[in-house]
Amino acid sequence: MSRAAVLEGGARWRDAAAEAPGVAWLLAALLVFFTVFGPRFASAPNLLNIGIQSSILLLLALPMTLVIMTEGLDLSMGAVLGLSGIVLAAALVAGYGLTVALGAALLVGLVFGAANGLLVTRVGLPPFAATLGTLGAAQGAALVATDGQSVVGIGPGLPALYASAWLGIPFSIWVAAAAYGAFHVLLYHTRFGAYVFAIGGNRDALALAGVRVDAYHAAIYALGGLMAGFAALLLTGRMNAGHPTAAIGMEFDAIAAVIVGGTRFERGYGGLPGTVLGVLAVGVLKNGLNVLAVPSSLQVASIGLLVIAALLVDSIRGRS
Amino acid sequence: MIDSKHMGPALAILTAAGMAACAGGGDESGSAGEARETIAVFTKNQTNPFFEVVRTGAARAASDMGADVVQYIPTRPDNIPEQMSQIEDVVVRRPDAIVFTPVDTQAMAPGVEQVNAAGIPVVNITDPVAGGDIVSFVGCDEVTLARDTGRYVLERIGGAGNVVILEGVGGSVNSNNRVSGFMAAVEEFPDVTLLASQPGNFQRLQALQVMENLLQTYPEIDAVLAANDSMAMGAIEALEAANRPALVVGLNGTQEAIDAIKAGTLLASGDCDGFNHGCLGAMAAIRHVRNLPVPDEILIPITVVDETNYQPLDIPLEERMCPAWETLAGE
Amino acid sequence: MSAAPPAGAALAGWPLRMPSIGYRLLGVAALCLALALATDAFLTLPNLLNVLRQASLTFLIASGLTLVIVTAGLDLSIGANLGLSACFAAAVIQASGSVLLGAAVGLVSGLVIGVANGVMVTWLKLPPFIATYGMLWMVYGVNYWYMAGTTIYDFPQGFRNLGSGDALGVPVPVYLTAAAMLVGGLFTRYTTWGHDIYAIGANREAARLSGIPVRSRLMLVYTLSGAMAGLSGIVYLARLNSAEAGMGDPLLLPAIAAVLIGGTSLFGGIGTLSGTFVGALILTLTLNGMNLLTIDTNWQPLVMGVIVLLAAWLDASTRRRAEARA
Repeated sequence: MSRAAVLEGGARWRDAAAEAPGVAWLLAALLVFFTVFGPRFASAPNLLNIGIQSSILLLLALPMTLVIMTEGLDLSMGAVLGLSGIVLAAALVAGYGLTVALGAALLVGLVFGAANGLLVTRVGLPPFAATLGTLGAAQGAALVATDGQSVVGIGPGLPALYASAWLGIPFSIWVAAAAYGAFHVLLYHTRFGAYVFAIGGNRDALALAGVRVDAYHAAIYALGGLMAGFAALLLTGRMNAGHPTAAIGMEFDAIAAVIVGGTRFERGYGGLPGTVLGVLAVGVLKNGLNVLAVPSSLQVASIGLLVIAALLVDSIRGRS
Repeated sequence: MIDSKHMGPALAILTAAGMAACAGGGDESGSAGEARETIAVFTKNQTNPFFEVVRTGAARAASDMGADVVQYIPTRPDNIPEQMSQIEDVVVRRPDAIVFTPVDTQAMAPGVEQVNAAGIPVVNITDPVAGGDIVSFVGCDEVTLARDTGRYVLERIGGAGNVVILEGVGGSVNSNNRVSGFMAAVEEFPDVTLLASQPGNFQRLQALQVMENLLQTYPEIDAVLAANDSMAMGAIEALEAANRPALVVGLNGTQEAIDAIKAGTLLASGDCDGFNHGCLGAMAAIRHVRNLPVPDEILIPITVVDETNYQPLDIPLEERMCPAWETLAGE
Repeated sequence: MSAAPPAGAALAGWPLRMPSIGYRLLGVAALCLALALATDAFLTLPNLLNVLRQASLTFLIASGLTLVIVTAGLDLSIGANLGLSACFAAAVIQASGSVLLGAAVGLVSGLVIGVANGVMVTWLKLPPFIATYGMLWMVYGVNYWYMAGTTIYDFPQGFRNLGSGDALGVPVPVYLTAAAMLVGGLFTRYTTWGHDIYAIGANREAARLSGIPVRSRLMLVYTLSGAMAGLSGIVYLARLNSAEAGMGDPLLLPAIAAVLIGGTSLFGGIGTLSGTFVGALILTLTLNGMNLLTIDTNWQPLVMGVIVLLAAWLDASTRRRAEARA
């Protein structure tokens, strides 16, 4: 290799390093640390565990990235995921096939997502207030419908699908990877994606160019609801049941993962690879601390520490 | 190249996690040479005193028997996906046995099946999990616990009067069992009227507010049957503030309840000793690992604790001793 | 035509700061009327005082948060902060026997968390939502470690009166709320610092350019939010006669809801403490009514969600009408 090529390669590497959000460094540090100190942390089954445990969160964090890039927020995703899971499980219990049940869950998600979109764009509510309202609605509907009980007896089909693996990789990781692929194409290689960046960065110019900004903006929220409905497939398969409160608080985890991954509430700034790193950092931290059997109170504090440390690294480098 | 600007926070995390590793993994590395068993103990949350008592009992039994315990508690109280993840992580760590309290009896069944698949024995404590194979179940009949405690207070009001029930988290197995036990007791007394049965989510504040509101609706309340001690104490706060007399009972036999019984504010608490749950759960797990016989089910005896019989429970947690195996698990 | 009185200058911001308060009071009246018709138990003095007590407690936590949201910020750590401050206060009271010392420790603990939030948001320039979310986890971690699953309980009657006692027939927390509203109202309406807070929320860059010390004002607001959470922790400790690590957890979302229902805008620059009190009142009346009518508590999140949406919709449409007129 010529000296120039080496230099160029080095420069490219430096650029990539400068581009990488702070969480990339933290993730690398965590991986090294747990590999050194954690017995069996770096084993294949454990790394697959991290993938399995991160997949549901990723399904929420991907659309959340788009929502946040457009200066928004979706607090209802966890509750909608819970409600969709109830519907999915109830449909299976009632004897419908998996396709019908998943369709029903997706429909519930889409309805709530579209409601969020309309409330934010047409009615003009702040996204925080609008989605806090729909959070309550979805949560309440799930509780009232089930009286707080699990929905059980969903049959062997979905759990078997969830437990299946292809090429040694579990189903949920394939689903998460496919979802990432779809979102990557959507955000970076379609007109819709370009509009997402523009809505966050320069909404007025977009409107002047004759684009139906409100429709695209609402569609982003609808997509969020749809993904929450889709995530119900994994959550229900994982628990072999529907449960009204199982996903409470997951929207905050998703928001944290997105922000930790470098996406910001302003200027259409951010990206999907960072979100994956953010989700993985949270997943690796929780898994590693469990493998090390760290006391739970310290685990709780570490999550906060990770979030703030990742932000600090970015802030010190002047990115926020 | 990693420039120094990034290193600060990264090092801070590393140091913190390093201290954590020393704190958490210390006892394990110290006994690497011997064949001490490691028992993983799963409980529901870090906030309910009952589970702290369970954890202490399990730790006491393990240290008596020369084994180690590792505690797993979800960072969000009673969180189902998180306990599921913790199970997956523990399977990687391969403890010799698991003492398991499911955060949800139905939704945690796949978790137990995973542990089964990994060949790690499971002793199920407090709430019976709905699926998977377990070595033994250690728990108590909560319906009977609530029925006996309810019966006790209803007899004390002379078998006649108005009562309210404070339920736990709607839909949870504990709450359902306890409320149906209270209901059974109420039905035994034809002159007792059940005014209301409202959820207080096992929380003191919610019970306090529910009770304040019920006191407005009903001018005469003779007894309050609370599905745990925290709610009973919340109800007592409301009653005292409104200067209304009523006899209150709770469930769990917590230290706070014992003190309130001594002070005369709480009538009684139905106790199915959490310490014994922890002790017997850990003992059963260790005995199973050591190929000693373990019964399929160990029922912890029920006591309605009042001012005449609280003494055995009224000692600091650290000083409590596990019962001999034979006294509770004798064939 | 009456000429604007001298006080008009101070009142100029009034309609902007307190949007659609009339509709909200109408909502309160309608709720009261409906409940009075539905149950005899509602329109009794003890029950009304009871509602006031519960609304006052919600207001105390939400008061500092209101100012934070007026600056277009957010403080998600108040629930965790309340729990930790209450636990520290409880431990000190039990150990020293001094209520004053315990209360001071609780207040300082709340204040310190508030200062830490302020440092993160101002000097380190972290986004408030996520910085205070990280703080929430750290505070819970410390509290779980400190309390180790135990409860601290049984306090002197004099202290407990702070939360559950009456003075002249009115619950003590109502006086605290009245004091907080009076001081806070004077501060936000008649002091430069108060006006600065609204200016920062309305347009941070413009505020900075017009010479407002943005950092120190934001620092003040987050510190106040932390201190109010600490104070609320002490009042809740007195009311519950006990402290445990998770006690603040169920209080965060209702506090945020009270602020939003009260008309404070998340976009910043709009909102009042009295609005937040009305929000707390609407929330409490609804829950109180549902309890009196013994409606299944599973309906509560749904009803609360609908109220939040209604309030936000009211503000959005008022704003649009105002813009259309302008």
